[in-house]
Amino acid sequence: MIWGDSVKERLLKLQMQALAALEEVQGLEELEAWRVGYLGKKGELSSVLRAMGTLDATERPLVGQIANDVRINLEQAHKKQKEALQMVALQKREAQEKIDITLPGRMQWLGAAHPLHKVIRRIEDIFLGFGFTIAEGPEVELDYYNFEALNLPKDHPARDMQDTFYITEEILMRTHTSPVQARTLQARYPELPIRIIVPGRVYRRDDDDATHSHAFMQIEGLVVDRGVRMSDLKGMLLEFAREMFGQNQEIRLRPSFFPFTEPSAELDILCIYCGGSGCRTCKHTGFIEILGCGMVHPNVLEMQGYDARELSGFAFGMGVERIAMLMYRVEDIRQFYQNDVRLLEQFSTLAR
Amino acid sequence: MKITWNWLLEYVDVSDLTPQEVAQKMTNAGIPVEHMQRLVEGVDQVVVGEVVAVTAHPSADRLRVCTVDVGGNEHLTIVCGAQNVQAGQRVPVALVGATLPGMKIGKSTLRGVISEGMICSVAELGLDPHVFPKEQTTGIFVLPKDAPIGQDINRYLGLDDLVMELELTPNRSDCLSLRGVAYEVAALFERTVHMPMPILQTPTIAPKPLAVQVVTEKCTGYAGQVVDDLELGPSPMWMQMRLVAVGMRPINNLVDITNYVMFEWGQPLHAFDYQAIHEQQIVVRQAQAGEQLITLDGQLRTLSAEMTVIADPMRALGLAGVMGGENSEVTANTTSVVLESALFDPLQTRRTGRVLQLRSEAGLRFEKGLDASVVTAALARAADLMVQYAGGRIASAPVVTGAALQKPTGTKVAVRPARVWQLLGFHIPLDEMLNVCARLQFPAKIEEDRLVIDVPLRRPDIKIEEDMIEEFARLIGYDRIPATMIEGPLTAGKLTKDQHLRRVLSDHLISVGLQEVVTYTFISREDLNRIRVSSEDGWSQSIELLHPLSDEHHILRTTLLPSLLEVAKMNVNRRQLDLRLFELGRVYLPKQLPLTEQPEERLLLAGLLMGRRNPEHPFRSVRTFDFYDAKGLVESVLGRIGAVSKVTFERSTAPFFHPGQSADMYLEGMLCGRVGRLHFNVESAYDLADAFYFEVDVQILAHVAQDELYVAELPRFPGVLRDLALVVDRDLPVANLLQTVREVAGEDLVTISVFDVYTGKGIDAGHKSVALRLFFRSLSRTLTDEEMETTINRVLAHVNSVHGAVLRE
Repeated sequence: MIWGDSVKERLLKLQMQALAALEEVQGLEELEAWRVGYLGKKGELSSVLRAMGTLDATERPLVGQIANDVRINLEQAHKKQKEALQMVALQKREAQEKIDITLPGRMQWLGAAHPLHKVIRRIEDIFLGFGFTIAEGPEVELDYYNFEALNLPKDHPARDMQDTFYITEEILMRTHTSPVQARTLQARYPELPIRIIVPGRVYRRDDDDATHSHAFMQIEGLVVDRGVRMSDLKGMLLEFAREMFGQNQEIRLRPSFFPFTEPSAELDILCIYCGGSGCRTCKHTGFIEILGCGMVHPNVLEMQGYDARELSGFAFGMGVERIAMLMYRVEDIRQFYQNDVRLLEQFSTLAR
Repeated sequence: MKITWNWLLEYVDVSDLTPQEVAQKMTNAGIPVEHMQRLVEGVDQVVVGEVVAVTAHPSADRLRVCTVDVGGNEHLTIVCGAQNVQAGQRVPVALVGATLPGMKIGKSTLRGVISEGMICSVAELGLDPHVFPKEQTTGIFVLPKDAPIGQDINRYLGLDDLVMELELTPNRSDCLSLRGVAYEVAALFERTVHMPMPILQTPTIAPKPLAVQVVTEKCTGYAGQVVDDLELGPSPMWMQMRLVAVGMRPINNLVDITNYVMFEWGQPLHAFDYQAIHEQQIVVRQAQAGEQLITLDGQLRTLSAEMTVIADPMRALGLAGVMGGENSEVTANTTSVVLESALFDPLQTRRTGRVLQLRSEAGLRFEKGLDASVVTAALARAADLMVQYAGGRIASAPVVTGAALQKPTGTKVAVRPARVWQLLGFHIPLDEMLNVCARLQFPAKIEEDRLVIDVPLRRPDIKIEEDMIEEFARLIGYDRIPATMIEGPLTAGKLTKDQHLRRVLSDHLISVGLQEVVTYTFISREDLNRIRVSSEDGWSQSIELLHPLSDEHHILRTTLLPSLLEVAKMNVNRRQLDLRLFELGRVYLPKQLPLTEQPEERLLLAGLLMGRRNPEHPFRSVRTFDFYDAKGLVESVLGRIGAVSKVTFERSTAPFFHPGQSADMYLEGMLCGRVGRLHFNVESAYDLADAFYFEVDVQILAHVAQDELYVAELPRFPGVLRDLALVVDRDLPVANLLQTVREVAGEDLVTISVFDVYTGKGIDAGHKSVALRLFFRSLSRTLTDEEMETTINRVLAHVNSVHGAVLRE
């Protein structure tokens, strides 16, 4: 009894002592020393438990129970303290590692596509969605494809030599992307339907100024099939205008003239500055002209062997610079070719 | 083409409509009215006055004191500084309170004399002095003697008339005359045209002889008539002012009448001095090669056989359709003229005008082709005006010759209504089509299933069914066309492999921070000199434009380098020093020169790097681009398309590169690009420093670009790293060392990287230490230390025997 009481007391005393010591522990190293001192194989608790052997059998379970409780209590206290100390240590480390998060990040340079190519790709993507493919052709072109095959015979008043850069009598810098129409008709004959979009550089003998450039870009479309109607041209260009300039866009066709289309039209869209209410840009008409279009002239089809009584088609073409000037409000066409990086870099922020 | 509103109203009555309404409808029908404004804006309280007396100013030599009658009860006293003021003149008088463009007139005192207004000059009235005869623009504007005193000057001179400028498409040459515009307006508003055809008159005095002989097929019709008893003088003021309004300079009554009729009927006319015509005989013939003629502008012209002249039996008198000759010009002594109204070959007229660089209103109309049905009407109209306004008398029977003038008739166009509906995409009732024909004044009738339309000669642009379909759509209104979607099989919208590759390449460069540029493709030989290209280099084989606009843009580029250098130079001048530019652009490589066939157009991807390689940051060192940045960028491009291991780099000899820091790239033995630092002389030619350039041939890359991928099995066994620092000869290319290592490292070698190259302390002069990191891994087992030992020893022995390489101590 006496021994038993005494072991029990020692255990409880040990527990009290250990818990008091735990309170004083500073840091994880001291905590480990505490653990070894009280709970280790050679620690205090073990040495008390070794005295258990001297107890008689009746007391052993009871004291054993107490001893176990003490061990659990101490282990739990240790765990709790350890977590607290770990938290403190972590907080200390975090405090030490604190940096000024308001300093800028370590950036890489941002690049950007050229605005003209941005516009071209956007237009290409719209027409790819319509099931078109992209066709291309040479910039140094034959007179035949640039003019004759487009119903512009030699000496036609609409092909003034002033406007064309010739290299030889028969070779020239293409003045529009339309020779690709003739080339495509020729190459694909007699496969139908033809649905192509043609981006590219073109050249005109114009002095450079704020609205003219001796070199510029066009993008042009051609559809040829059985039963193609002018209403299809209108419907497709309405969809295009809405994709490009906003879902509330409206279009207007006005009669015009191109040697390779008949009937021909200019396409106006609602002024993208004022939305149609009238402003300086649209000369208070509410509309701005963005492209020329029309039904493919029968001569163009027949020159490549198609039967123009059976087939029909439409074509349209626009100046990429003009679209870009309208969309991005660029005042001077020369800026696209000057490439001041302060202008170009602005396009790195454009998320579409 | 300019017209005026009041002039138009003479032929078609749309006075119930506003000019804006008419202009709007014309614009929507394909005759855009570009500008519409009063001939002169802002003239008020200016009237016709008569100078009653002129006295000297008491205290100013250069000023006169004029007494002016403006129709009121009292005469006005007006001080005038013009030297040409004389008593008896009728002049424009700005009353006190009048406004003139940019000016207000009040009562003023000039050197002690009160002036009650101002006598105006042409310029003060807001008119362009350049289109007035010189005698009318030095000093005050002297009006004709019959100008009604007191009449508002706006009304008298028609300053309040609206000038409408039409932007005509090349096909609508019919609207190069008031007549054509009147028919168009009549069709748009369903009106009628009041323009009876004048009829040629017979002589009213003893006839003078005139013979016409046409001996060239380039003249298909010729009408002439002699008008005698002419008195040369100014044409009536209204006629002068109308010519001024449409941009023609009034000259004298005879010339003005020919011009007026040209604007009215679209038919150019010419008046020859009858006295100048030898044997009273006009011969229309081709010029002899080398024949000379002094034209009206005083220039001596040497003619060719591809030009038509109007001549007499002795000499040429004028260039048909282009310009008259000085020898037969109407002068102050002219009393008798031959009026000419003719049809000349459009193409030849155009070529002649082009060769001689003569462009005129007449030439413009001849080039487009004329309406044969009004040739004689225009002649009759001009003769009539000469009788009316120049005191003339018809002095010969009209001489009319040429097949085109015998019963001129238009074209018949057959239209299938079903085709109209099919092509436009909506149904137009037959009645409506007939109504359009009626509005256009095209006689039409139904024959079986088609509409047969007689298109008059005044509309030469309408030749085929589609032309007529456009007329239907145009006059019914393009607004009526519905919006539908194309029918037919679905097609896949897709990019070709090459188009895809281009997108991948430019997207890649953009994502690694490069800025895309677009530059002109025309450069100059001087640009090639600046990049040190000599006549032996391929780049010098460039295509030249026949008629360049400037010396800076006269050849087609064979390299993108000058274009990128220009961009860099411009940006550096604007203090933009960090440049990372690229362009995806074509170069033009002739197969032979001069060009006999189209050149090869090769697509290059080129870039230029200079300045800092990354943005500054407090915790990162900033350095400028060097060769390895440029090469790394090119390798990243190659890597992006799976081609990096297929390309080898060899020292470049391109003239624009620094020979020690540049490389040519070979892909399967083909030169596919180059990268390097620019030559000092190239840099200094563009005021640049430390600039790096690269270019790759996109077409060659396209051959090897990887467009399929099967993933490699992931390794199941760990790899082993071994670092080796080898001391080798300083000039040994590291690539050679790596190649040698690979030869014996076995198939388990996965990668070798070079992590340090060192020269200096601890390394013998003439040598360098190259630190390599070798990574080995087997797919079938874990590599043992013993195996690795053997491999490394084999490598060391091999590099030692090949390069003398030894392990660094």
